[in-house]
Amino acid sequence: MAMMRTLLLVGILLSAGALCVTARMRASAPPAETSQLSPAASLGKKIFFDPTLSASGKMACATCHNPAYAYGPPNASAVQYGGPHLKSSGYRAVPSLRYILNYVPVWTHVQDTNPIEQLAEADTAPTGGYTWDGRYNSLHAQAMLPFFSTVEMDNRSVNELATKLSQASYAGELRAVFGKDIFAQPARAVANAALAVQQFELQDNSFHPYTSKFDQWLDGKATLTPQELRGKQLFDNPNSGNCASCHIDERGANGAHPLFTDFQFEALGVPRNNEIPWNRDPRYHDMGLCGPFRKDAASKDPANCGLFRTPALRNVAIRHVFFHNGRFHSLREALQFYVQRDTNPEKWYPVPPGGTVEKFNDLPAADRKNVDTIDMPLDRHPGQKPVWNEHDIDDVIAFLKTLDDQDVPERMNALGAETAHDSAK
Amino acid sequence: MPFMTKRLLSGLLFVCVIAFSSTAFSMHAMTAAGRDAHPVIPQIRHVFVITLENKNFSATFGPRSDAPYLADTLRARGALLTQYYGTGHSSLDNYIAMMGGQANNPQTSADCQTYADFHQTGTAPDGQVVGQGCVYPASVKTLANQLMDAGLTWKGYMGDMGNDPARESATCGHPQLGAPDLTERAEAPSAAVPAGDMYATRHDPFMYFHAIIDAPVCNSNVVNLRHLADDLRSISTTPNFSFITPNLCDDGHDSPCANGEPGGLKSINIFLQKLIPVILNSPAYKQDGLIIINFDEGGTGTIKESNTGTVVTVDGASCCQQQEGPNLGRQYPIEVKHMSHGRLITTRTLSFGGDRTGALLLSKYIRPGTVSSVPYNHYSLLKSLELIFGIHEYLGYAGQKGLVAFGPDVFTGN
Repeated sequence: MAMMRTLLLVGILLSAGALCVTARMRASAPPAETSQLSPAASLGKKIFFDPTLSASGKMACATCHNPAYAYGPPNASAVQYGGPHLKSSGYRAVPSLRYILNYVPVWTHVQDTNPIEQLAEADTAPTGGYTWDGRYNSLHAQAMLPFFSTVEMDNRSVNELATKLSQASYAGELRAVFGKDIFAQPARAVANAALAVQQFELQDNSFHPYTSKFDQWLDGKATLTPQELRGKQLFDNPNSGNCASCHIDERGANGAHPLFTDFQFEALGVPRNNEIPWNRDPRYHDMGLCGPFRKDAASKDPANCGLFRTPALRNVAIRHVFFHNGRFHSLREALQFYVQRDTNPEKWYPVPPGGTVEKFNDLPAADRKNVDTIDMPLDRHPGQKPVWNEHDIDDVIAFLKTLDDQDVPERMNALGAETAHDSAK
Repeated sequence: MPFMTKRLLSGLLFVCVIAFSSTAFSMHAMTAAGRDAHPVIPQIRHVFVITLENKNFSATFGPRSDAPYLADTLRARGALLTQYYGTGHSSLDNYIAMMGGQANNPQTSADCQTYADFHQTGTAPDGQVVGQGCVYPASVKTLANQLMDAGLTWKGYMGDMGNDPARESATCGHPQLGAPDLTERAEAPSAAVPAGDMYATRHDPFMYFHAIIDAPVCNSNVVNLRHLADDLRSISTTPNFSFITPNLCDDGHDSPCANGEPGGLKSINIFLQKLIPVILNSPAYKQDGLIIINFDEGGTGTIKESNTGTVVTVDGASCCQQQEGPNLGRQYPIEVKHMSHGRLITTRTLSFGGDRTGALLLSKYIRPGTVSSVPYNHYSLLKSLELIFGIHEYLGYAGQKGLVAFGPDVFTGN
């Protein structure tokens, strides 16, 4: 117990999150294409791909956010592993960094002023902020996290990291961009390094290529197959999948292509994942917005427990790990859970001998009431038919595959990697 | 005051006012020049309507208001209408009433989560169109159309409109027809949209009439609020009619706001402290201006907690013999239930009205400190505006028999 507390404390103080976790996979190369980057962004690109900044010497931001995998995880591990020997378990699945970074709004929980309207409105969900729990309001603040996380790059002080930066091949560029005395102030050097990473992520076209078949279809340059179109209808239909109510898939008013997220928080009640080492302790609960890593006033609101930020779905079909805790390893299984969670709960949650299904078992019992049981198709009951059958799921998967960027298979092939599509075959 | 008692009092006041004002109304109806014939409408040629959100009269104008600039400072300078009512819940139906006189329908009462066409199936008395939906067909006219027909100018000034061009355009901003309205929720600042975007289509009445959105004038006349200051620099550039919708924070709708501001009456107060002096000091206002500060709807009701859940009762009170209209088709009271964090929330709405909000008017034609207890609602406002601008046709329920326009109880100055 004491050890668990210690580990948790370390984790809470220094870690969790996702930007630069893990290793154990081949090093990835920077994107080949060039784009017009500012000097700070060009510098940030070098930092993003530099494993010498980690305690292990083997982990860079790109290790987990691999450009060959649309800046997502390159394997099927529920969480990634970092620390000095790449054996320290992360806490949450690694999200893709593509598309959303420029558009993540600061974290807010806007409510109607009028208390009567507050109660009458069913949907006043918190929104925004970086990471699964939204606890960072700027990308450079978030980028600081993995540098110091004990389960990620594991630098133990700003001095340690600043020293590594001063010895990097690009130290001269750091001086040129941020001032020749930058290393005289280690904290400033580290903060500026994070700022440079932010600029790279915001500016580089490889983070937002818009080259998928879906994008081409929006531009009238491609045709979706009947199956893909049917999948989109199932995805959109508010009386069926109702996915588009959160994963917005319509053009913006200016024709902007959609990001497939509304950045709102949602509690889906994903089953507990025993692949995550932390979950071996039954007292450990990842409750997203209300902790254990988030510590502000929002985390004190019991209504926020179990809520995680809605991820974007672009390139979702190449992933091998789904939801915040990586509980599922195929897109099909993730979709089956979504439509069968309430019609066939025994399929997804444990059933104690002689007992009833323990739904939403990754949350403390008191917080399970926060799980969404209102919105379609999460309002179903045992005995009802799921809104999708297997044929429907085939169609939805076909549609979601149209969100794969064209460069992804090329990059994967260059690595000799196996895609989720290949696995399915 | 109990609901029924308040309704009874409103009815009695209405009878008294009708007795007074029917003479003026008849005079208007019988003459060719309506504006000149109305005995109490002064020579106002520039009107600024500022519509705020969701506040009861007592919260705004009562003791210890969080908007003292409105409740005290401006109240002392103008006319307080203590019995001004919204015409529906939630927001949008009120704005449509103000601009076109059309009554509530289930979609506009629910703020049109999907921006869809109004499908007309017929007509009803008082210029009402029968049907369901959001964006009224081109045959349904608005005050803006009336003004243009009369050779007068108008503009809508919308807070934050176009801040995020992916959300709505910078002029005439609305969702695509048939698409979900992504402006239902305020957008917080991001790297791409540093100021955030708290424009709400449902608070922009112009967007719900094809008679406006299909016309080129929509892009020139429905613009971001930041353009108002420039337009106020001279009389020639100041529209005869300006409809001002602050963003979701400045209008008090949200609290807290997406930009971190407190919202509610506190943000209303800050907003008005900045905006009102700019208008008051403009040449057009000084010459012949009128400022009307109103609220779309009130929030009168009760919240009762019990072991079985929460029951929210919304009064839905109305005045002025407001009619339900042909499209709601509801049997009141109505109940809507939903679960929230494991708790059953039951919302009981007793009637179709928008509850009492109060309103404040400022003009050199109004004696400072005027207080009127004459009942008014958004249809009364529309009728008043039509009278002010010499328009002879009253749109929708603005033409309801016996409806009272602002009269000598309001325009008490010289």
